[in-house]
Amino acid sequence: MLPAIETQGLTRRFGQHVAVDAISMTVPERSIYGFLGRNGAGKTTAIKLLLGLLQPDAGQARIAGIDLTSDRLGAARKVGALLEAQGFYPHLSGQQNLDLTRRLLGLPKSEIERVLEVAEMTAHGRRRVADYSLGMRQRLGLARAMLGAPPVLILDEPTNGLDPEGIADMRGFLRDLPARSGATVLLSSHLLGEIEQVATHIGILSHGRLVLEGALADLKAGMANEVAIETDMPERAVLIAREHGFDVEQTHDALVARFAPREDARSAAAALNRVLCVAGIRIHVLAPRQRTLEILYRNAARAAEPAALA
Amino acid sequence: MTGTTPMPHATPARFATALAVEAYKLRRSLALLLAAVAPLLIAVFVFFNLMRFEKATPWTMTLYSSAAIWAFFMLPMSVTALTALVAHTEHGPRTLDHLRALPLPRWHLYAAKAVCVLGVVAAMSLLLAMLTLFVVELAGWLKPAVAASGTPDIAGYLALLGRIFLAAWLLVAVQLWIALRYASFVPALAVGIGGTFFAVVATTAKIGAFLPWQIPVNQLATDPARAQLALTLGGIGGCIVFAAMLWQLSRREVLD
Repeated sequence: MLPAIETQGLTRRFGQHVAVDAISMTVPERSIYGFLGRNGAGKTTAIKLLLGLLQPDAGQARIAGIDLTSDRLGAARKVGALLEAQGFYPHLSGQQNLDLTRRLLGLPKSEIERVLEVAEMTAHGRRRVADYSLGMRQRLGLARAMLGAPPVLILDEPTNGLDPEGIADMRGFLRDLPARSGATVLLSSHLLGEIEQVATHIGILSHGRLVLEGALADLKAGMANEVAIETDMPERAVLIAREHGFDVEQTHDALVARFAPREDARSAAAALNRVLCVAGIRIHVLAPRQRTLEILYRNAARAAEPAALA
Repeated sequence: MTGTTPMPHATPARFATALAVEAYKLRRSLALLLAAVAPLLIAVFVFFNLMRFEKATPWTMTLYSSAAIWAFFMLPMSVTALTALVAHTEHGPRTLDHLRALPLPRWHLYAAKAVCVLGVVAAMSLLLAMLTLFVVELAGWLKPAVAASGTPDIAGYLALLGRIFLAAWLLVAVQLWIALRYASFVPALAVGIGGTFFAVVATTAKIGAFLPWQIPVNQLATDPARAQLALTLGGIGGCIVFAAMLWQLSRREVLD
């Protein structure tokens, strides 16, 4: 089975700045791939490379098996995109905006009704886009991306600017999308909580490099078990624990002890507790931490910091 | 790929479709309003100018002055504003990324825009001709003393406007290229206003024969060689600049 999107060593520089640094990513078919990274990490540049809007300095990208460099039009036929700047003509209605793209794609008129229905925008199709709320524009953008039922959807920050209710709506919509349309979704965002609730796979971008990629469930299963410790002597606790070979770190809100994924976390936590108590350190709380995308992301990003690499 | 739906009945992109889409975008746009207002302003001026006289003015003179106002000032200013407005249709809502990501040759997008703008300028020329003929008749009907004398050389007048239109291709190409290249209104307006200004203040300068904003008005020159040179420069130069525009814009990366 061909991956929906595959890149090898994809690189793009702007002068001396390497915006996308030798990214090799694989987006499995029918997955929802969360493309994560903070602002400026290179997500939008990578997406523009995947859409053929920018030329790579090195590497290649394939969309549904079609090489983007040698056959841009062929690859573009496989993709629908929602870009950060939605790009609608405000003086025209939602339907008319969709109709312009439909004509350029050479699709039948019935496609407009279909995508409006999928995006739950049928009731608003005749209104001018200038009168749309931001959430409605995002939905119209999704409808436009789905014109022609492309097998790959690339959505750049689709929840940007939405209120909490709009974000919840969008989340539900995106979660159902592969089942409803059969499409693979590449979803860029910096909202970890949102990605965690919809993504089946993730790729984490930091300083232009892809530092982690895989199925979210597998990555979480492979995470170290973490235990949060609250004590009134955190610095001493760190020293004692490290002397006894424990991996302990002081974060902004607590001490965090990490145990290897295959380690018996309960026994290890009990052993750490015993060591600290024997050293006279009072433990107020010792609680397991959930394996969250946030922790996964933080660990990956921290490991990829330039200082850590040096 | 399995489990995915192919595009239903998708047909290859044709240039005619891109052109139809461009024309569709003009609906309810300021560009279309400008296309109607600019010739109307000249017609209004011609009407009131005739009405202030007490005796008849020859048809030839009235039609010539209408074409002169058009070529000298209103055409370069209208082209400046029209190209900026047409380009802003894409720059304003930032639609270029969306359009350029679609599976169609990018030159189609820009060529369709160029043909559309040329079509609007041609329509403005025709509208000017119709409105001028109408207001001259209207003035004569309202005030018989100023009814135009002689017979109108409509074919000659239309041929003159046609030559002015062809000579304006270079002007249209330069202005459209700048308007599409820069997202801001400022470069296109600055160049257009500056070009028109120099065309007006340096009417008799020899170099004016090569200034895109003055080339259309050279169709009214008494020296046939200058008029012919202007037509050649405007028409052929326009085609060359349009081709260069398509080549450059199609390859350009939109970074904003």
